[in-house]
Amino acid sequence: MYLTNINLGQYVPTGSFIHGLDPRAKLLSLLLIISAIFPSRTAIGVVLWAGVLVAIVAASKIPWNIVIISARPVFFLVVFTFLFHIVASLFRNTGMLQALNMAFFTSSRLLVLMLFAVMLPLTTAPLELADGLDAMLQPLERFRFPAHECAMMIGMALRFIPLLMQETDKIMRAQLSRGARLDQGNIFQRVKAFFPVLIPLLVIIFRRADEVAIAMEARGYEGGAGRTRRKPLIWRKTDTLIVILSGLAVALFIILGA
Amino acid sequence: MNAQNNSNTPLIGVRSVSFSYSSKNTGRALNRVSFFVARGERIAILGHNGSGKSTLVKILGGLIAPTEGTCEVNGINIQDIEFRDLRRTLGMVFQDPENQIVAAMVEDDAAFAPENQGLPPAEIQARVDDALRRVNMTHKQGASVSALSGGEKQRLALAGALAAKVDCLILDEATAMLDPKGRLDIERTLREMHSEGMTIIEVTHQLEAAGFGDIDRVIVLAKGEIRWEGVTSDFWDMAETLGFGVPDSLKFRKYCDTHRLKFPDDMAGINPPPLKFPGSENPGSERFRIRGLSFRHDDKNKALTNINAEIYAGEWLSIIGRTGSGKSTLVQHLNALYKIQEGQIFLDGQPLPQKGEEVHTLRQKVGLVFQHPEDQLFSPTVKDELAFAPKNAGFKGPELEEAIIFGLECSGLGRDFLGRNPIALSGGERRLVAIASVLSARPDCIVLDEPLAGLDASYQKQILSMLGKLRDEGRTVITITHDLDAALKHSDRVLILRAGSKIQEGRPRGIMDELMKSLEPEAWPEVLRISAEIHSVNPKFPLLYDYQELLSCISPT
Repeated sequence: MYLTNINLGQYVPTGSFIHGLDPRAKLLSLLLIISAIFPSRTAIGVVLWAGVLVAIVAASKIPWNIVIISARPVFFLVVFTFLFHIVASLFRNTGMLQALNMAFFTSSRLLVLMLFAVMLPLTTAPLELADGLDAMLQPLERFRFPAHECAMMIGMALRFIPLLMQETDKIMRAQLSRGARLDQGNIFQRVKAFFPVLIPLLVIIFRRADEVAIAMEARGYEGGAGRTRRKPLIWRKTDTLIVILSGLAVALFIILGA
Repeated sequence: MNAQNNSNTPLIGVRSVSFSYSSKNTGRALNRVSFFVARGERIAILGHNGSGKSTLVKILGGLIAPTEGTCEVNGINIQDIEFRDLRRTLGMVFQDPENQIVAAMVEDDAAFAPENQGLPPAEIQARVDDALRRVNMTHKQGASVSALSGGEKQRLALAGALAAKVDCLILDEATAMLDPKGRLDIERTLREMHSEGMTIIEVTHQLEAAGFGDIDRVIVLAKGEIRWEGVTSDFWDMAETLGFGVPDSLKFRKYCDTHRLKFPDDMAGINPPPLKFPGSENPGSERFRIRGLSFRHDDKNKALTNINAEIYAGEWLSIIGRTGSGKSTLVQHLNALYKIQEGQIFLDGQPLPQKGEEVHTLRQKVGLVFQHPEDQLFSPTVKDELAFAPKNAGFKGPELEEAIIFGLECSGLGRDFLGRNPIALSGGERRLVAIASVLSARPDCIVLDEPLAGLDASYQKQILSMLGKLRDEGRTVITITHDLDAALKHSDRVLILRAGSKIQEGRPRGIMDELMKSLEPEAWPEVLRISAEIHSVNPKFPLLYDYQELLSCISPT
């Protein structure tokens, strides 16, 4: 019930070739791969994509147990999907075997897809990821879309989410110590019981936000205009190659799938 | 700007600055404050909670504008200086390192200011390397921020300010949240930068002995006005009158000077009188018995290894040890927040309940106050806040009213506080309310994690006397603290943890040897450091922690 052990896909530097890729290349490839896995209808497709995933994890030099731990929140979703399919089949009068088959296929497809997504923050430093997003969203600035601010927000969220998790854990423990019943009663009682955690958390979030804003101002931040980068994004030939490869793989799967 | 940049113009000039948070200019947080800071000076601005020092910091940093008067940098009104120029002149470091670090990786964060300045990548990298080297963090350049200790995070925040190549650093309680080691590391860095010509303004509620001799000047702020101003050596003579503590090492230096004693050589021949053992001779009945307790967090090393201990009714036990030594994990077993994995704990002879309704009864009996408990308040009134724990424990009607009053009386706050909103109270009052909100369930045993952290002297005293009273009523008081002086002077027994194992427990007097081995010398109480030095030339001289005792050992008459 405590949250300290959730490690929400934090960056694991290993210096692999995957880590060295341009974040834009990784983002583009991920988009391509996800859009290919989603519509895939054959078990073979999922198995092949799982193979690609295994190859990427190996190339990233990140141990599997870290990947699994980072993806822990995702497993709930996968298990939920599985159960949902089973339950749904009961109402649809399909055969149990067929339902199991379908549930297994859908949930494993979701799992592979999620694990691909988890690999992005694991192999990309939060700031690089934010810079990559910033660069990719830049064309939208013309339509007054706050691209830099959005990217900055995502970067800051990645920095502060683990901290707020710890904070939530600490508040929960403190209120449990005061006899709070966080895990008893019906849904309404539970929601009400959570106020003693929620309110202090909101106060802390607002105070932190305020202090962070002041600290950023003190370090001369005034938005994206005129800002430079310590490590400017450099698009190399390998980045082009990776995106082309992803594109080709996707095309191949779509053709085979059809 | 260069025109004014001659040696006659002070770097910072505060001219008759007033500030009021209300639009009617009443209840001023600052009232006609004036002072100057010369280039290369290191000054300390001292004030208790509510003295207006935080407001002054914001004005000095150009983050808010004074209601009246001006704040000048190099002779130019701060309001007229271009934002970018100002940020290249003044760097700031705040209390909580977490709120100053914007990137998740060390180098990325140090680069934030030069990136904002729009410098070319090579120059940014050079600034980052230089700043990290100056705060002694080069070896962590590729590390993730979450893997740093509190002290390292604050040094990174310092590097973040340095990377902007500022002329002046303003520090707002920058060491308040750090342990003794972390504080010393920051102090070393500041000394080095001061010697290289950096102007440093430190705003704090307590000047430390470590800064003595390097700080040129002290300004004392009280109720929004300058109460005292002078050189550091004069400050220590005035400190007690102004309401600030004097470190024992400085008191002792003065004692030696007035008695013309050479330390430690003149103390080699002293024959100290036998020492009395303070504290209750007969502990109360046994409350906790811990047997073979071991604990392991998920996929990590052991947090606790084979802990055995007894804790009694009517005693005050201090648990000390470095960050990460298992102190918090141990006490969170006492009210079943952590479930026992290996070993046993008995409370009043019964095995400690681990689940079900009995756990709620346990949590009423054993109250736990976390670090910075004021962050956990949530009720619209102090009364509701105090009612939360007893209500959960099943108190009703007059019993509940009594419990609320009991909590309030422990805190020493008046009845008029019951109707007030906790959010609107001062930091010290909020701490008292938070502790009272656990005490209102009338626990037999109260455990507090760093109850004194970040409070000024008067609130610390109040909390220490509250805990003493609870102990005298026959309750068990357990504190976790970095503040060894308080732990040794006030508690009956001390338990030392190191890397999850119990190293020793006993009366404060009996554990001095072990204390010296378990903690780095920076963390020793000052009197222990002094007596250890005398001990090295005079083996008859005991290891001590109490200043009065030190004096009585040196001159028995």
